[in-house]
Amino acid sequence: MHGVKRVHQSSEAIQARKLKEQAKITEYLALANDVLSRKTSEDWSLEAFRLTTRLLRTNPEFYTVWNYRRNICLQGIFPNSSPEAIYELICEDLVFTMNALKVHPKVYWIWNHRRWCLNHVPEGPNESDLQGWKKASWERELAVVEKILDADARNFHAWSYRRYVLASMPVSRTEESELAYTAKKIESNFSNFSAWHQRSKVYSSLCESGKLQFDQFKKQELELVRNAMYTDPDDQSVWIYHRWLMGAGDDSELLLQEITAIQELLDEQPDSKWCMECILHYKLLLLQKHSTIVDVKAVSEECQTLLKQLKAIDPYRRQRYDDLAAAVLRL
Amino acid sequence: MADTLLISHHVSYIQKLGQSQDELAYHLTSHLRLNAIYWGLTAICIMGRPDALSREEMIAFVMDCWDDNAGFGAHPGHDGHLLSTLSAIQILIMQDALDKLDVNRVVSFILSLQQPSGVFAGDSWGEIDTRFLYCAVNALSLLGKLDLLDKEKTVGYIKRCRNFDGGFGSCVGAESHAGQVFPCVAALAILDRLDIVDYDTLGWWLCERQLPSGGLNGRPEKLEDVCYSFWVLSSLSILNKLTWIDADKLTKFILSAQDPEGGGIADRLGNMVDVFHTNFGIAGLVDLDPVYCMPAVLIEKMGLRKGWTALERRQITSK
Ligand SMILES: [Zn+2]
Repeated sequence: MHGVKRVHQSSEAIQARKLKEQAKITEYLALANDVLSRKTSEDWSLEAFRLTTRLLRTNPEFYTVWNYRRNICLQGIFPNSSPEAIYELICEDLVFTMNALKVHPKVYWIWNHRRWCLNHVPEGPNESDLQGWKKASWERELAVVEKILDADARNFHAWSYRRYVLASMPVSRTEESELAYTAKKIESNFSNFSAWHQRSKVYSSLCESGKLQFDQFKKQELELVRNAMYTDPDDQSVWIYHRWLMGAGDDSELLLQEITAIQELLDEQPDSKWCMECILHYKLLLLQKHSTIVDVKAVSEECQTLLKQLKAIDPYRRQRYDDLAAAVLRL
Repeated sequence: MADTLLISHHVSYIQKLGQSQDELAYHLTSHLRLNAIYWGLTAICIMGRPDALSREEMIAFVMDCWDDNAGFGAHPGHDGHLLSTLSAIQILIMQDALDKLDVNRVVSFILSLQQPSGVFAGDSWGEIDTRFLYCAVNALSLLGKLDLLDKEKTVGYIKRCRNFDGGFGSCVGAESHAGQVFPCVAALAILDRLDIVDYDTLGWWLCERQLPSGGLNGRPEKLEDVCYSFWVLSSLSILNKLTWIDADKLTKFILSAQDPEGGGIADRLGNMVDVFHTNFGIAGLVDLDPVYCMPAVLIEKMGLRKGWTALERRQITSK
């Protein structure tokens, strides 16, 4: 159970609640037992299907009943239905699960059922457009995920599902449009690490496929990040993304440039832990990878100073700073 | 606010859970029953009260959850699933009743769920998740059947879930999440492949989960929670980097989430308790094996503990 306030109830109040629940329990158990016994006797009728709707509306976490519902479709309904009828039923199930998601956006089984629905959209509407229904369904699906992400921009079920939809669409979206989407999410809230993460994945895939090179988007991304840093220097999301942009630290010029830029922000915000943490990390990379072009002794001392400051302002993680200080000495 | 672990309260809270048939919530959570029994049993075992629940009834219930088509379901009459199958195996082991189990059938059910990519599905409907991969690896290890697993393929999938921040997601491409970092790291620990982990980066990401309240969150810029605290804590423990967070502050946070009247632990201070957070709250404070999520002494006795250290008993006197 997450985020449900505990209210103190007197024993009288508890008794009264239990009494009120009694009728609901009887009704619920009668329905659940009916559905489970129909399942055992392999009842694949439309009536059984409707009973699963009722039960799942009360309890969308009842995974066995979702399974049974799909089996009713596969064993009973689909074999005797026209493609039009199957498509209609699937569309209805997508509406049904959408309504369920509005109330229970984090129930795995509802998301799973949608995947199954989309994978069972039949060919049609006609010979000349066999992919028509599929295309329309997957397009609509992307709009559905966006709606859920509008309600909770960090819902990881929705983000995973979004990636699944993007990978499954018969007509795939361009990576550029996904970059635009993540930019929109980030601009409406810099603190949305899920969107930063998605952005890093899209860029990685563009780079891996050879369509894009780091230098082509480096400047633009650093600008976006800079903007976010200045807006809220305490937000972890942007700093973590910045570390992705810096990669393994092979580019010494980039490291030096970013150290200088972050130092400017630190001068304005002398208590900013994340400014210190990032400068420290990049200086450590300089020491590890570019020791021939930096003044090792001076940079090591700067690292030790930063570590002392970090330890003072961020005592929960003091041992990590001590471990790093010891590692600097060994460099 | 309690500053000690209220053991007797929690034991009686767990005992009462099995007798709540007059509450609607009890019936609406039947799809989690076997998992709940595992959480409750683990909690009473590490609190030193293994007899607080009836052994015979429990074993009979577990065996009633057997689904002839697919391992164990969460409740009699429910479909088999990897999540409940692991719970069943863990319960039977804690109750020293593994002789009830048709090991070969369970093992072949588990192995049948591995996908060509190396990840595991939860059941034949095909939902994939690194949590299911962990369930499979944990279960096979507990049953001494790890040699039947294609380890390269399994590790290969985990590797592809690794993100630049050092963490792991639920599937390839997914955002790092403490609830997914734990299963990936624990599976790698069982498979002796922690070399896949970037210790410094992941250790950094994990310790940055601790918030001023002492509690830990599951992802950047999210709220702290007792269950996420446990996923982070056990991951840090496997990496031998427990000292990278402030354990005393975390202890205080967990203790503050206790219900000092009815017993049980909530996700955070002032919220409704449940058996899931009760177990993982207590687990963060007393001797639990961080890889198998079972009592440390038992895992030690089975010879399954390797390089990691158990979560030690914190200095909190109980009343
Ligand atoms: Zn939680």
